[in-house]
Amino acid sequence: MSDTPILELTGITKQFPGVKALSDVHFDVRPGEVHALLGENGAGKSTLIKVLSGVHKPDTGTILLDGKAVSFNNPREAQDAGIATIYQELSLYPELTVAENIFMGHAPRNRFGAVDWNAMMTRAEETLASLNIYDMDVRRKVGSLNVGNRQRVEIAKALSINARVLIMDEPTAALTESDVSRLFDIVRLLCERNVAIIYISHRLQEVFELADRVTVLRDGHFIDTQQVKDTTESALISRMVGRTIDNLFPKLESKVGEPVLQVRDLMREPFTRGVSFDLHAGEIVGLAGLVGSGRSELAQCLFGMLPAQSGEIRVFGKKVSIRNPAHAIKLGIAYVPEDRGTQGLVRAMSIRENTSMAILKLMSTGGFIKFGAEKKLAQKSIDMLNIRAYSPDQIVGKLSGGNQQKVVVSKWLASQPKILIVDEPTRGVDVGAKAEIHRLMSELAAKQGIAILMISSELPEILGMSDRVMVMREGRIIAEYPRAEVTQERIAGAMMAAKVDVN
Amino acid sequence: MTAIDPIVQHHERRNAIITRLLAQETILLVLTVIAVLVLASANERFLTARNLSREISLIFEVALIALPMTLIIITGGIDLSVGSIFGLSAIVLGFLWQDSGWPLEVAIAAALVCGIIGGAINGFFIVRVGVPPLITTLATLALYRGVALGISEARSARGFPDWFLGIGRGEFLGAPWQIWILLIGIVITWLLLSRTIFGRSLYAMGNNELAARFAGIPVNRNKWLIYVFSGFAAALAAVVFVSRVTTTRSDMGSGMELDAIAAVVLGGTSIFGGSGGIGGTLLGLILIQVLKNGLLLAGVRGDATSILIGIVLIAAILLNNFFQWLQVRLTANK
Repeated sequence: MSDTPILELTGITKQFPGVKALSDVHFDVRPGEVHALLGENGAGKSTLIKVLSGVHKPDTGTILLDGKAVSFNNPREAQDAGIATIYQELSLYPELTVAENIFMGHAPRNRFGAVDWNAMMTRAEETLASLNIYDMDVRRKVGSLNVGNRQRVEIAKALSINARVLIMDEPTAALTESDVSRLFDIVRLLCERNVAIIYISHRLQEVFELADRVTVLRDGHFIDTQQVKDTTESALISRMVGRTIDNLFPKLESKVGEPVLQVRDLMREPFTRGVSFDLHAGEIVGLAGLVGSGRSELAQCLFGMLPAQSGEIRVFGKKVSIRNPAHAIKLGIAYVPEDRGTQGLVRAMSIRENTSMAILKLMSTGGFIKFGAEKKLAQKSIDMLNIRAYSPDQIVGKLSGGNQQKVVVSKWLASQPKILIVDEPTRGVDVGAKAEIHRLMSELAAKQGIAILMISSELPEILGMSDRVMVMREGRIIAEYPRAEVTQERIAGAMMAAKVDVN
Repeated sequence: MTAIDPIVQHHERRNAIITRLLAQETILLVLTVIAVLVLASANERFLTARNLSREISLIFEVALIALPMTLIIITGGIDLSVGSIFGLSAIVLGFLWQDSGWPLEVAIAAALVCGIIGGAINGFFIVRVGVPPLITTLATLALYRGVALGISEARSARGFPDWFLGIGRGEFLGAPWQIWILLIGIVITWLLLSRTIFGRSLYAMGNNELAARFAGIPVNRNKWLIYVFSGFAAALAAVVFVSRVTTTRSDMGSGMELDAIAAVVLGGTSIFGGSGGIGGTLLGLILIQVLKNGLLLAGVRGDATSILIGIVLIAAILLNNFFQWLQVRLTANK
């Protein structure tokens, strides 16, 4: 690693109408280092990346590349200068092959000016091999690859344009554990080759595992840059939120009551294969498992999205067969789905319209919506969950990720559930909002006696919030631990045991 | 949490106003008013009660079909079969009355039921079989027209009794029956769309069908309902139309679906679903008809009128795109 920065930003300010997105931000990255960029949603990380990658021009400040001042008018110019960005939403063409995607826009040509397909295949294979990827067919369509493999294609694409600075925006957000460790290997490999990496993530443990230095932004202001080895997780959190969060997992002692949900031999092929468990009033049960182990499908089976084929469900002791979500809601079951963008929210509609969506019947007389009651409900949700919005009529799509998640949660709390199933309740949510959602869940269980089934891929969350932990694998619950006996190693062991790596 | 910055709040309010001003409905309203003023000043016969009420009975059929079409397009669907349902219902009416000797009242009811069944068949394939609305209704467009031709064997029914002809040609409280039927239709659809759970559900479905399902909205039932509603409206329009033109023919209503869709889309309802409304559709209908009628009165030839209307449609869409772009520019803050 060299000490002279390859890219250096000083005094960057960017103003949008009504919002100062960045003010006087400093940032630099050196060849061969991983420089983590941290901050809550809305802190200015995305704007800074966009300035770096040529999407936005800064109002003031200078960008030095190899010590020379540069100015990018568009993303293409930044790319030509060797700065590549891998966004959260991967920008690949699903209908094209791996090789075509890697060389999109700069395909090798033969002497007649036509695309040289053989050279393209060979060079695509070489590029992948240089990342120690030998198990990918470059003729395969990208659409048929899983997320981890798509991301590898994206990285290969960046390398094919000789990127010297690689910006990765939340690269692990949608990855499975094994894909994450493969990604880390690739990142380390790139560092050895003196590529400078700017790494953005909400997961602090990744920063400690991977990064050399870390820069914190808050409300558009530069807070500081530090060596990772000189700082701690709690110090980083307090810099990000500007106050100390004493406890990310404010678990309250709660009295576990009667069983409210009893499930026996629940079947819904292929993902739910004979699941039995009890859920009691006032308890939070963590449901751990790898992606694809059938956790979300179990939740959707209980919620009537994927009705059961056989088995028994009892709600408050009464045998029920849940046919559809409306039926589940009537029984007092609520489900905060995994993907808020596609399942949880209608982003183009307002907070008001979203919070009332699951209980429109209660918000109406004779089918006519009571707009006043609806508005009151939305305002109550905004106040109770601290949603940062200027009005209940604000469009949900314009809120930050954490606030969008709060809208989903408030929609389901409005249905006054007795059984609350939450699926990855804090994915892609910044640390401040995360603590708030945890506190809320804890209160719901302890004070209102709501039974909560919490699906999560973040083990600290499972460990921190659960009264009991169940582990799922291949459509079955294969282990269960009370709070006192659960450890990270035990869960991970049960999750992985005899696991066959499927793509 | 910090309070919301008052400057941001001010900007959001200003943005909301800009968005409202540059909405397609507003632009369309301005265009329509301009068209009416120009045509009225060019011809004194244009802005007369007689001319206007005649015009309304002329666009009645398309307008009635455009109402449920608005609902369907808001959910992201489309119904191409309405013109054929229209023709089939007309033929069923004439055939049952004249050839089978049914009482006319029963034949009318049968024609309406025929429209409902036509819509239900569309709904069945869209909801149960999962065929996209465009494909389903393209198929039934051909199917229903074929059935109509088969039943009619190129014959037409004539000689309807006076009470029946009164529906399409008579007046009630000084205005054609069409105006009253249409008004009721408009009020019902408008209330449904803007005031009820059902209407809200349609917008949610058009924006994000999966999220609507997750929220417990009966997506499948709602789809059935709107296609059935569409079939019923087409049949009702056909009954009134037969009364006005005093005969039935198997090619009645062909191409009518496109007139209705044009009015809906011109009215600002997104063809991708999720936004739009009845007000826009009405403005779309009015603008098209005002141009047709005004140009006719001004002595412009029929083919030239078609060309002009085509140009106006394209211009309206371009203008809308321009204003959308302007709106993004004016309200951008990220």
